[in-house]
Amino acid sequence: MSVNAASQPSTSATRAGDDIGRRTRAQRARRSLRGTRLTSRNAFADALARPWSLAFQMLVMIVNDATWIVFWILFFRKVGTMRGWTADEVIVLQAFLTFSGGMVLGFFRNIRYLSSMIINGELDATLALPVNPLVHVLVKQIGPLSLGDIAFGLVLFIVAERPSPGRLALFGVLGLLSAGVVMGFLILAGSTAFFTGRAEFGEFSFHTIVLLGSYPVDIFSGVARVMMFTVVPAAFVATIPARLVVDFSWANAASLAAVSALFLSAGAVAFHAGLRRYTSGALWTRA
Amino acid sequence: MSRRAMTSRAFVSTVASAAARFWKERSTLLVAVPFFVAVIGILTGVWRVAVEVNDGLLVGYTAAALTWYIAASEASMLAMNFRLIEDTGSAISNGSIAVELLRPSSVLGVRAASEFGSAIVKLACLGSAGALFCLMIVGAPPRPIALLVAIPSMLLAVGCNVAAQHIFAASAFWIRDTQVAWFLYQKLVFVLGGMLIPLEVFPEWLATTARWLPFSAMAYAPARFASGHLEWHLLGVQLLWLGVLAIGAHVVFRAGEQRLQVVGG
Repeated sequence: MSVNAASQPSTSATRAGDDIGRRTRAQRARRSLRGTRLTSRNAFADALARPWSLAFQMLVMIVNDATWIVFWILFFRKVGTMRGWTADEVIVLQAFLTFSGGMVLGFFRNIRYLSSMIINGELDATLALPVNPLVHVLVKQIGPLSLGDIAFGLVLFIVAERPSPGRLALFGVLGLLSAGVVMGFLILAGSTAFFTGRAEFGEFSFHTIVLLGSYPVDIFSGVARVMMFTVVPAAFVATIPARLVVDFSWANAASLAAVSALFLSAGAVAFHAGLRRYTSGALWTRA
Repeated sequence: MSRRAMTSRAFVSTVASAAARFWKERSTLLVAVPFFVAVIGILTGVWRVAVEVNDGLLVGYTAAALTWYIAASEASMLAMNFRLIEDTGSAISNGSIAVELLRPSSVLGVRAASEFGSAIVKLACLGSAGALFCLMIVGAPPRPIALLVAIPSMLLAVGCNVAAQHIFAASAFWIRDTQVAWFLYQKLVFVLGGMLIPLEVFPEWLATTARWLPFSAMAYAPARFASGHLEWHLLGVQLLWLGVLAIGAHVVFRAGEQRLQVVGG
């Protein structure tokens, strides 16, 4: 009895404390979400404030992407087929690469500059806000150029494949999973700047995944092939989705989803772990 | 605004100090060299498969010649600062270039000399790594004497590249954002410059056009030498383009500097 009497107030106090803790966490999450939503809205409003500039930049990116298609057409005109890949199949691969890359760099422009922002101490202003720092940094700027990639990838797929609505939806879903892989990998690579104190790795990782993702994985063998399925998951960016949209299998789709989730989680964990080592650049005015 | 020139002595000394500075910070090569080897590994892999399915010869190139071609073209390009156009463009658009205007020396001259100094050290490292890669993968170069000529050709390629990138970056004096210019420039060199694909793969009309453009002086020319083609006129073409591009950069920078307005400090 005495034990109960002694323990009851402390239990209810703990419960009350838990409730307050939960409420505080919920309020904080709501505030963070609202902050992120507003930041994202501002980023879009900023880009849309100059519609002609946006349209021009998108057009430039479309021309840029079309250059790659010209490259592949010229290449296959001379080569014929290459380890089972034809020009048409490589065009579908390019559609995925541009679509998913465009989703990441278009909606989260800063992802490419994450490592240099860390090195230059440009996270200060974000850290002072009641928001998730990673999400805030990513959404605060959109990349008008890369929005052209999304349009190009989508149109290229429609023109090259003339898909049914179902296949078009499948393209969208696979493209999102592929974007998850790119995003997770770039956050992970960018976060290495917290630990190494150098920005180059983030920049080179961006170029590496884009470069490796541009080629069918079947061209490679040995270490390069293993690397494309592991360290630099380029195979999951374009080759696997391009295969899935032609010949769907639940097992391959599940592996793509798993890799996407794995890299996104690893990226978030690495960023938040690295944030503890972050040193200020005293740049308070760049929120 | 006073017209500031740069003496050849000042240019050489800026190149030397930039090279020494880059060498002191050589840890960046720990990322750059493996990345370069990965890039040439991938590209040469693609081309070797292409040659293999074409009975060992593609538009006059063997697998070995194409491997040396890609190593030389990539070394010439990757020796450059990836973001030179963007970095120079943002220095112009955010006004920080105004500080450089206070120096008693040409802004363009100092910037170009610094880039060239860093690039030649990087080129030496990437070139050596590339040569080692090719020796291990496909063996000796198709024509060793042509490979020797590829060395000055690569230096000229870097020079042309530095000048051309400054021309593109100078667009920031008028349109502020140089990301567009960077993307376009990159693709022009990648394809019309023959960095990813030898010009011989193009249809005849496009190959001829590409040979007349300055971009071929930045990648195709050194790559052509490295792949065993001793075509001396390519050095002349590079020298000609170096002169034209340097004058072009000087003209656009001077015009841009005259219209630059910086508010605040």
